[in-house]
Amino acid sequence: MPRGVCSFVIAPTILALLTIPVVGADDHFEKSVRPLLAEHCLRCHGPDKQKGGLRVDSREALLTGGESGPALVLGKPDESLFVQALKHQGLKMPPGKQLPDEQVAVLTKWIKDGATWGGQTTTTGSATGHAARKPGQITDTDRGWWAFQKPTRSELPKAGANWAKTPIDHFIAQRLEAEKLPHAAEASRETLIRRLTFDLTGLPPTPAEVTAFVEDRSADAYEKLVERLLASPRYGERQSRAWLDVVRYAESDGYRADGARPHAWKYRDYVIRAFNADIGYDRFVREQLAGDELYPNDPNALIATGYFRLGQYEYNQKDVRGQWAAIQNDITDVTADAFLALGMGCARCHDHKFDPVLQKDYFSLQSFFAGIRFVDEPVFPSAAAKTEYEAQLAAWEVKTATLREKMAALLSPVVAKIQANMGNTYPPEIQAVLRKPAAERNPGERQLYELAMRQIRELEFDRAPAHLGKRKDEYDALKKELDATAKPAAPMAMIARDLGPDAAEVLIPGGRKKAVAVEPAFPVVLGASPPAIHTRRDSTGRRAALAEWLTQKDHPLTARVMVNRIWQGHFGSGLVATASDFGTLGEKPSHPELLDWLAVEFVEHGWSMKHIHRLIVTSAVYRQASVGTKGATADPENRLLSRMSVRRLDAEQVRDAMLAVSGELKLDAGGPAVPASTPQRSVYTRVHRNSPDPLIASFDVADGITSCARRNITVTPTQALLLMNGNGTLARAEAFAARVMPADGKNAPAGVTEAYRRAFGRSPTTEEAAEALEFLKQQVGVARNAVTPDSRRKGWSDFCHSLLNSNEFLYID
Amino acid sequence: MGSSLPHVERAYTRRDALIQGGAGFGGVALSWLLGNDSVAAEAKAADPLAAKQPHHKAKAKSVIFLFMEGGPSHIDLFDPKPLLNKLHGQKLPNTFKPVILAMGENDAPLMGCKRTFKQHGKGGLWFSDWVPHMATCADDLAVVRSCWMDGINHSGGVCQMNTGSILAGRPSLGSWVSYGLGTENTNLPAFVVMQDNAASVVNGPRNWGAGFMPAVYQGTRLDAGKEPIPNLHTPAAIGDDRQKQKLDYLAKLNQRHAEARPEQTELDARIRAYELAFRMQAEAPEAVDLSKESAETLSLYGADEKETETFGRQCLLARRLVERGVRFVQLYHGAGSKWDSHSNLDKNHSALCKSMDKPVAGLLADLKRRGLLDSTLVVWGGEFGRTPQSEQGNGRDHNPYGFTMLMAGAGVKGGRAYGATDELGLHAVEDRLHVHDLHATWLHLLGADHMKLVYKHKGRPERPTLNEGEPFTRLVTG
Repeated sequence: MPRGVCSFVIAPTILALLTIPVVGADDHFEKSVRPLLAEHCLRCHGPDKQKGGLRVDSREALLTGGESGPALVLGKPDESLFVQALKHQGLKMPPGKQLPDEQVAVLTKWIKDGATWGGQTTTTGSATGHAARKPGQITDTDRGWWAFQKPTRSELPKAGANWAKTPIDHFIAQRLEAEKLPHAAEASRETLIRRLTFDLTGLPPTPAEVTAFVEDRSADAYEKLVERLLASPRYGERQSRAWLDVVRYAESDGYRADGARPHAWKYRDYVIRAFNADIGYDRFVREQLAGDELYPNDPNALIATGYFRLGQYEYNQKDVRGQWAAIQNDITDVTADAFLALGMGCARCHDHKFDPVLQKDYFSLQSFFAGIRFVDEPVFPSAAAKTEYEAQLAAWEVKTATLREKMAALLSPVVAKIQANMGNTYPPEIQAVLRKPAAERNPGERQLYELAMRQIRELEFDRAPAHLGKRKDEYDALKKELDATAKPAAPMAMIARDLGPDAAEVLIPGGRKKAVAVEPAFPVVLGASPPAIHTRRDSTGRRAALAEWLTQKDHPLTARVMVNRIWQGHFGSGLVATASDFGTLGEKPSHPELLDWLAVEFVEHGWSMKHIHRLIVTSAVYRQASVGTKGATADPENRLLSRMSVRRLDAEQVRDAMLAVSGELKLDAGGPAVPASTPQRSVYTRVHRNSPDPLIASFDVADGITSCARRNITVTPTQALLLMNGNGTLARAEAFAARVMPADGKNAPAGVTEAYRRAFGRSPTTEEAAEALEFLKQQVGVARNAVTPDSRRKGWSDFCHSLLNSNEFLYID
Repeated sequence: MGSSLPHVERAYTRRDALIQGGAGFGGVALSWLLGNDSVAAEAKAADPLAAKQPHHKAKAKSVIFLFMEGGPSHIDLFDPKPLLNKLHGQKLPNTFKPVILAMGENDAPLMGCKRTFKQHGKGGLWFSDWVPHMATCADDLAVVRSCWMDGINHSGGVCQMNTGSILAGRPSLGSWVSYGLGTENTNLPAFVVMQDNAASVVNGPRNWGAGFMPAVYQGTRLDAGKEPIPNLHTPAAIGDDRQKQKLDYLAKLNQRHAEARPEQTELDARIRAYELAFRMQAEAPEAVDLSKESAETLSLYGADEKETETFGRQCLLARRLVERGVRFVQLYHGAGSKWDSHSNLDKNHSALCKSMDKPVAGLLADLKRRGLLDSTLVVWGGEFGRTPQSEQGNGRDHNPYGFTMLMAGAGVKGGRAYGATDELGLHAVEDRLHVHDLHATWLHLLGADHMKLVYKHKGRPERPTLNEGEPFTRLVTG
């Protein structure tokens, strides 16, 4: 890891904390040279155009040159045609205005220094694989990138024979031995159970659980603990969160109004259920991408298509086509990030400048979603439930028929007026779509129609009663009467289906050139055969084809990407540190053979996520202590895992742990989101994009707007102020104190021990206990001879509040 | 001492100093308050917000962005259009490229401007009678008439004016500046946001959010009053004595914990965060305390008049913050889209201009007489302008296609207009400046190159203007 000059003093966490842009081996090139080339040269000498036969997007291309000969003479800027052109000696580049002197100087110096390109002097297998790439084409070098090869299970290394507990350890030991780094000793049992319980369930262990584990002398005590936690319903509540980050889950629309999505939680509960039931990642992928096509009778799978409904929505956007394009792009970006770990966003406008992703790839991927329509519909848990609901509804309709007719009659003049002017405020193109007979609308127009009609319905028809004028009171009275009739509630869900067998045409925007239509296809660099699309009567079958391809057993990316995410959840960083970027700008895997081994193991075990968790947490590498090895200075980022990394609790863990420790946590599972003031687990609290809970937000929660592969870890005074002075933490501390303070005012040492065990999962040392008792005496008023029941309560509250503010509470060893 | 930008942090030695010196929370906090302590200096170097060297010599040290939320009408304020009055009541001539209107009164007639425009200052800049005080600052103001952006609605517009993109998720410009340049005063937030009323700004706090960057770069909402920052003060029910003892005890807990984990420097950072909170407790109330300001100064900002008091006080606060080294101050005037005058433009803009005009002029004059204007870039504008077409008879719809922003200070050559809209003020036509160009320009004045200011996110180099835009250097070269 080249890391500049200060690497020896930088510990891993501070890097996560500051998230400093990674200073690569050739920082100068990336920061100074490449931007200049990109900005001033590539338009005419890049993948799109090669004026004078010259490209300047690779070192090789510059050395080869164009019609006037080689552009560069390494080390000799004055003899380089490139520099002469920049200085307007003969050739004049860029045409028109000469670049400022300082920019010319940057490029001149770069050539003088040998014109290294991204730290490389050759392009083989490097980030510049696209160098020789012609527009719209992929080279063999591109295809050779590690992440595009099928994972294979290599033989277990011999290293680590005396230490290994699982196959994982042999791979870890191999690199540690090669680098002559020791591994750390196994952590204490108290440390292990706290680490494991937080990692698998997101909650701290109770004192009783700690005692039971510490005192369990059986040989498989640890394994039993792992099984208990994997089987806990709390496991899914924890593991779902990372996935919800990746798919940018939220329960509101975003944009200005940020309207609530009252049914969004169904998708969240689906994810939790899927993790708890360990349904297999392949099934999990297929249900989300194409549940309606592949499992049309499975209510879970229908709800899973809520995946497509998680993006933002602007309720009053007159640019209907623009908004639909934004929605489609958002779905494409998230799908590429989540399942392929390929940042494809750049390719929306041009062939990717760094990764072998073509603009065509972007829109070919988008084509899989080109038949989609968004529907809010009831999803019944069973056929019987549906029958029952329909009977109830029919009865209600009969009962309220007269009432509803009266209301409709009152509204009818207003509704007629809305209908007469419908769509008049939309751009001409949309007006034309709205006015076309339904049968004449092509699929793309139907999508625009539905999006426009959703706005018209919500903003105009639904608001019709407001325009009743004098008859409004009359209407309101009827409405009141109707509302009192208890209409049976349908189990609504936000899901996705297709318009029918035909999809909308997808065009690669041409800019000044003609737009080109594309069909569904997989990224060219993956060399896959064309998708096998089986059109259904009511569906294009496109999403099913995508899902089937992604979950092929030998897919190069799907399994690797997911095992890497699971790994990240346990070590703070993945084997590939950039969990949603396996492309050439991402980090390369620290242990490529291990990543492959895990990917193959994953698939061979039915894509069981619990199996991978089990393998990881039972390994020796996971059970290491976090302190006391030499590795800290030799490998500050801990990429080689010579110890466990110390990790801060994430936002949900901070809140949940406080509630757990204070005894207030209610383990009610599932259902509509609750306000953060309700002591339920954070995964069940309301996630509104424009108004996140302050505590959760301050501890770096994902924003629910773009896909988040790994959260930032920041340290801010806002957090300190919230924890120290905020009402929430103070209330937690009071409840915590009430739980641990001795009722009779005696035996304070027992209360101190209890508080330590709850907050830290261990008993205090003699010194710590003495210090705590001293602090209590001072706060309770013993020192001033002023002990009252109130002062005792306050004193204990201060003590517990300090524990909740402490680093030992906020960090996992 | 600033490191150069972007930087790599050291965060190790201070721990040793702390441990060796045996200093507790209180001791360290005190050393900060006294300043110039070597321990404090060491900690400062490790602060992600520590001041950094700019890419090139900066004209501006700070920015005050006066954000007129909702979209003020450029054609009724700074960009007079005689033809508009001539064509009043007629349809938009078909020689003008049609636009998508947010409210879609597609056939509404043009509406003439009822204001009186006059030329002011040596440069003869045009100002309408809605902004008589700002007109007195004519020679300091650059009127940029050719701005344009992509968002036709408030959400996208406000988002882009803050983050460069109409789609949510990117860091606010103030965050980029905090990240790239740090701040001169780490006892106060680097990026401060204020609102003139309690309504929620469109999109909420994510307008000043750090997007994909760490939260340490996000803006901090500051309220004038006893508790300028949420949770700043010790709750009354706790009291200072208990709090002090609690903090001392916490420092002991944390110190013991950290001693056993010498390689975990983040633990130090967290101890420091409590110290910074403590210092903010001391410094923030002073920064927002206007009681030491003279009656003359208060009056200059209109802080002594009912209509101008609120924004006047905030403009004055902005000056005080800039004086204290805050890097980026953003004031929302008309928070909650108050400038959004779809109907009754006259009534709406009269009142808003009245409450804004004198405070802004006061700010410019005060900065100037204190020598701060040279190092402070003041920006005035909304997320877009308004259409020459009428809406609901007496209002105007959103116009992202051409609108005006004002800039002053930091070497900007005032007293003249830059760029132009068409004859009706609908489209920017001459020296068109997209929001990306505006952001690149402001960054340029701060000494930051918008293409070199890079944050690596998901493996990709992200830049504040999405790799687009050019600084409009004529603002300073004339």
